[in-house]
Amino acid sequence: MRNKINIYLIEYAINSILRQKYKAIFIIIVFTLLIFLLTSIFFITNSLRYELDSTVESLPEITIQNLKAGRVVDIDVDMVDDILGIAGVNDAVARVWGYYYFKNGGVNLSLVGIDEYEKQYKKSFTNIVDKFDLNSPSMILGVGVKQVFKDSYYEEYFNFIKPDGTLKKVNIAGVFDGDTKLESNDVIIMSKDLLREIFDISEDKATDIVVKVANPQEVATVASKIELMFPNSRVITKQDLKVSYQNIFDYKSGVFLALFIIALFTFFIIIYDKASGLSSEEKREIGILKAIGWRVDDVLKEKFYEAFIISFFSYIAGVSLAVGYVYIFQAPLLKNIFIGYSDLKVSFELPFIFDIQTLALVFLLTIPIYVGATIIPSWRVATLEADEVIR
Amino acid sequence: MNKKSRYTFFIFLTLFLVLTLELFYVNFTNGVDKTSLEKKEQFVKLTTLPDLAIFSDTSYIRHRSLVNVASIYKDDGSLREYSILSYAISDSKIKKNYEK
Repeated sequence: MRNKINIYLIEYAINSILRQKYKAIFIIIVFTLLIFLLTSIFFITNSLRYELDSTVESLPEITIQNLKAGRVVDIDVDMVDDILGIAGVNDAVARVWGYYYFKNGGVNLSLVGIDEYEKQYKKSFTNIVDKFDLNSPSMILGVGVKQVFKDSYYEEYFNFIKPDGTLKKVNIAGVFDGDTKLESNDVIIMSKDLLREIFDISEDKATDIVVKVANPQEVATVASKIELMFPNSRVITKQDLKVSYQNIFDYKSGVFLALFIIALFTFFIIIYDKASGLSSEEKREIGILKAIGWRVDDVLKEKFYEAFIISFFSYIAGVSLAVGYVYIFQAPLLKNIFIGYSDLKVSFELPFIFDIQTLALVFLLTIPIYVGATIIPSWRVATLEADEVIR
Repeated sequence: MNKKSRYTFFIFLTLFLVLTLELFYVNFTNGVDKTSLEKKEQFVKLTTLPDLAIFSDTSYIRHRSLVNVASIYKDDGSLREYSILSYAISDSKIKKNYEK
């Protein structure tokens, strides 16, 4: 019977909160804001991380770059044949791609060349490209690139400046589907031959080589064989990329959390101050309760209910606000922390990921601490003799 | 149960309902759509470039797979302090040796 929830104690706790309603409202507002901020950051990070993780699996397992004087330089296409000879390698493709700085728009664009894209990839193009109208030489743009070009009145074609200073006119064949915006916003795809001409890369050279390995267990072995075969090259596995993504998000959310910790500690100091120095009125209240027959555990239970009602109310309110702010209003201001400072801003919708771990983490980070900070000083007072407390 | 307790109970119930409705709503509108996920996978397969276009100004973050060894100097804006440790520890061996 004693373990059952005592409804009268809950009623008393509610009345106690209402007696000091301005103090309770102040704590609820600060607590709700704190939980709202913390949850919002976790929500944004989770959604972006999900976006990366869900596409990273479609990548080739190994990327090989050629190093010279500490810089990445073009790689020999002939290396592909040697790599294909390694047991376990499914496919090896020499990639041609790079960056193009569009001065007028002040943005860096990623140009990617693919093999005979008019034929081989037609099926996938119809799925991911809006307005598909190929006329050679042509290219397909991300939504952001299209907008930047449009601002400079390039609506039908674009003139690329080649390394020798001459221009190369390329028609705009289509725009990538809005669903791929987060991946394709700054990307331009065109045929490899066209890109070689724009970047002045000869037929026997490529930017890097990507290798597909069917068995994930063999990736490390294949990577070490490639390193032995081409000691000057840099071999990057998919796992390395995943680790690097993890670092990006750990860093970005880490910087925010570092700032946030200051706010968190300030809050805890306020709570500690509020809780450790119980006002004489509160002390007298505990004393009277003891004098009329309340046991120490009754007082503690009542204090627990009081703290739990305030903190749990703030938690639910904070999480509700965070869900609305991040997923309904798409996290204005806060999302900018995770987006670069480029003019080529990507406007994307954060995918909703219900992560129970995040909610549990925020719960454990806030509520038990508040409850503890309320109960401990009350326990100190409650263990004293009633007459001593009242006096 | 007195009046105040009933009100508290209803306030909590309302908050729970709001949260549940919100979760259903965002799951319906922003939930992971299978077709859009397939499109993204197709795009990544096609370009073999994985990274998100949220750091298009900083190539060493935008395309990690083409990170140039020296690009940290080339792209130095305010984001040079990219590594967390670099706030506290200088990773330059030359500088360290010089200090000795």
